Amino acid sequence: MSEEAESGTMEGKPVVLVEGLHKRFGATHVLKGIDLAVEKSQVVCVIGPSGSGKSTLLRCMAFLDRYDEGRVFIENRLLGYRETDGELTRDSERNIDSVRSVIGMVFQHYNLWPHMTALGNVTEALRVVRKLGRREAEHIGMEMLGKVGLNDKAHDHPARLSGGQQQRTAIARALAIRPHVMFFDEPTSALDPELVGEVLQVMQELASEGMTMVVVTHEMGFAAHVADEVVFMDDGEVVERGSPDDIFKRPRSDRLREFLDTWRSRAI
Amino acid sequence: MDFLGVITSHYNAFLVGAAMTAVVSAVSIALGMILGLWLAFGLISRNRPLRRASAVYRSAWRGTPILVQLLIVFYLLPEIGLDVPPVAAAIIALTMNTAAFQAEIFRGGLLTIPSGQVEAARMLGIRVLRIRVRILIPQMMRLVLPALINETISILKNSSLISVIAVTELMRTSQQVVSVTYRPLETYMIAAVVYLAMNLVLARAGAWFERRHALAAR
Amino acid sequence: MSFDIDIVFRYGPLLLSGLWTTVYVCALASLLAVAAGLAAALLYGLPFRAVKLLCRAYIEIMRGTPILILLFILYYGGPSAGLTLEAETVGIVGLGFYGGGYFAEIFRAGFQSIPPGQIEAARMLGIPRPAIVARIQIPQMLTLIIPPSTNQVIILTKESALLSIITVAELTKNTTQMVNETFAVVEPYVAVALLYWLIIEGIALAGGALERRFSRAS
Ligand SMILES: Nc1ncnc2c1ncn2[C@@H]1O[C@H](COP(=O)(O)OP(=O)(O)O)[C@@H](O)[C@H]1O
Ligand SMILES: [Mg+2]
Repeated sequence: MSEEAESGTMEGKPVVLVEGLHKRFGATHVLKGIDLAVEKSQVVCVIGPSGSGKSTLLRCMAFLDRYDEGRVFIENRLLGYRETDGELTRDSERNIDSVRSVIGMVFQHYNLWPHMTALGNVTEALRVVRKLGRREAEHIGMEMLGKVGLNDKAHDHPARLSGGQQQRTAIARALAIRPHVMFFDEPTSALDPELVGEVLQVMQELASEGMTMVVVTHEMGFAAHVADEVVFMDDGEVVERGSPDDIFKRPRSDRLREFLDTWRSRAI
Repeated sequence: MDFLGVITSHYNAFLVGAAMTAVVSAVSIALGMILGLWLAFGLISRNRPLRRASAVYRSAWRGTPILVQLLIVFYLLPEIGLDVPPVAAAIIALTMNTAAFQAEIFRGGLLTIPSGQVEAARMLGIRVLRIRVRILIPQMMRLVLPALINETISILKNSSLISVIAVTELMRTSQQVVSVTYRPLETYMIAAVVYLAMNLVLARAGAWFERRHALAAR
Repeated sequence: MSFDIDIVFRYGPLLLSGLWTTVYVCALASLLAVAAGLAAALLYGLPFRAVKLLCRAYIEIMRGTPILILLFILYYGGPSAGLTLEAETVGIVGLGFYGGGYFAEIFRAGFQSIPPGQIEAARMLGIPRPAIVARIQIPQMLTLIIPPSTNQVIILTKESALLSIITVAELTKNTTQMVNETFAVVEPYVAVALLYWLIIEGIALAGGALERRFSRAS
């Protein structure tokens, strides 16, 4: 499958293109010039110590946080800003929504809507954004819940689901609008260890179906097996990037070596 | 608009009116606190008739408009042979009103104090009244201070109603100023600013006390 | 002091017409208050400093000024600013925007109670803001905001007695007329106090029913 992805590189432009991205929260410089390209059907995993700016990068790539410098292109369309003579001005909500509409996002804490059933969560955007009728929306909704193995939980509220089931519902919700690329921000970090597997399995299936994915994760096993490219971030910079083998077997920088050592010692 | 003209020509009247508003409010809040504390202990009393009576009082004074309460006190006192000046009727009405609201605030505060404290004190042979005054009330006051500040602001605002029974506080003063200047917009806006300023001072003072107690509690 | 029930019956129609005015004025004012409060709370959430400041000013002015002053500014001051309104309209508008200041705080607390991640998830799906408010935020905050909202409608209903001062023929005004015509004091005021108590108990009951309905749903 990684070969497929590489042949994709030759043809089209990247689905996600990040150029020279900077982000500051007040005085703290959180992202210090990030470049990233994600090709169609490629899976990019972002790893790095906590506080290194992984979530911020993903949030800027979705324009949930506005970035200060640089560009984010989603399928060749600039996200968040309009550019005139090199000057960036904030884009309208409508245009931002339109560029964003091909991104599906999955959060660490699921962010399900607790007052709706699992099915209600999945169909909400279909009904409100796509303006589908109830039956059609529920038909698609059940299909999506089936994809994540939750057909039998469709009519339960999130409070009655396990963490793993909630996260799978959140994945189904993001898939319902048929995104071209999926962003995952530590999707298994809030889960009890025994529930991690079921979520990773769903993600792995998505990857094998050719979904383009950007995954911030601490699951090194997942990154090693599923990623086409692994990006190591530290202190707001991309320190190293390469194939899983390069990153996990032949780390070049001290910072990455140190990070992997800490991780291994904790994993034992 | 001529704010400056209205202020400069009636500066003193506004000041005297505001002072009257402040005094009537302060006296009512203080008297209402005493009555409210008695009522609060009535509300949590084991004595059923006392509890019922306190609850009826609270319900009646919280469930009717303060303007109606004021008119009742003002017109009914003479009926039962008590001829008091308007300002006294005003203070009586505001006191009886705020007592009901303060009682509810105090009741909430008292319920948060562990009952073990009272039992421990009883075991030592300390008398009930002394327990209330020395142990319960000081602890509870700290807790209910924000609510008490809100109630004070509320009474300060409601004191404007006593203008209808001819007490010359800020509101009535403003009406008198209007009757000579014919500038209702400016005059009432000035009065509004004075009320706002007094309430701001109250809110600030409350925040200051709270911070001090928060520090002391650490 | 004696109680002559006949007077109350003789003036029954007048009292009832006042009661009706009180009820519909309060209903309209409450609707306006909810709308104004919701608007202010939503505007407050926008990322613009100036808008935030304006909303804060609106809320603080409404909460810090006596409603009587606001009514006087509108009713007596309005004409000199080119705004001449019927007394009843002044009552609805005045009470409505006054209550809006309090409802804004209720809604603000409600909006704050929803984790921001839920809103981000909705934005990522392209759900428009109005739908986020109506379908995600408000349904979840109902259990939180219904009790203080009920309380606020009760307060607003009690404040509506002040409309008698600006000549609106509501319950208190008609009662005063009854006092002036019969020279009886006890009967009219006892009757009016009971009527207010009834309205307020009714609102409390309705609020309680709403609360039960929505707490069962969630
Ligand atoms: N909203 C925010 N306001 C201020 N600082 C923030 C905010 N979000 C993140 N940060 C800071 O940015 C840095 C990177 O955070 P984050 O992107 O969450 O890291 P990671 O996801 O890699 O753990 C941290 O130092 C964090 O404290
Ligand atoms: Mg993170």
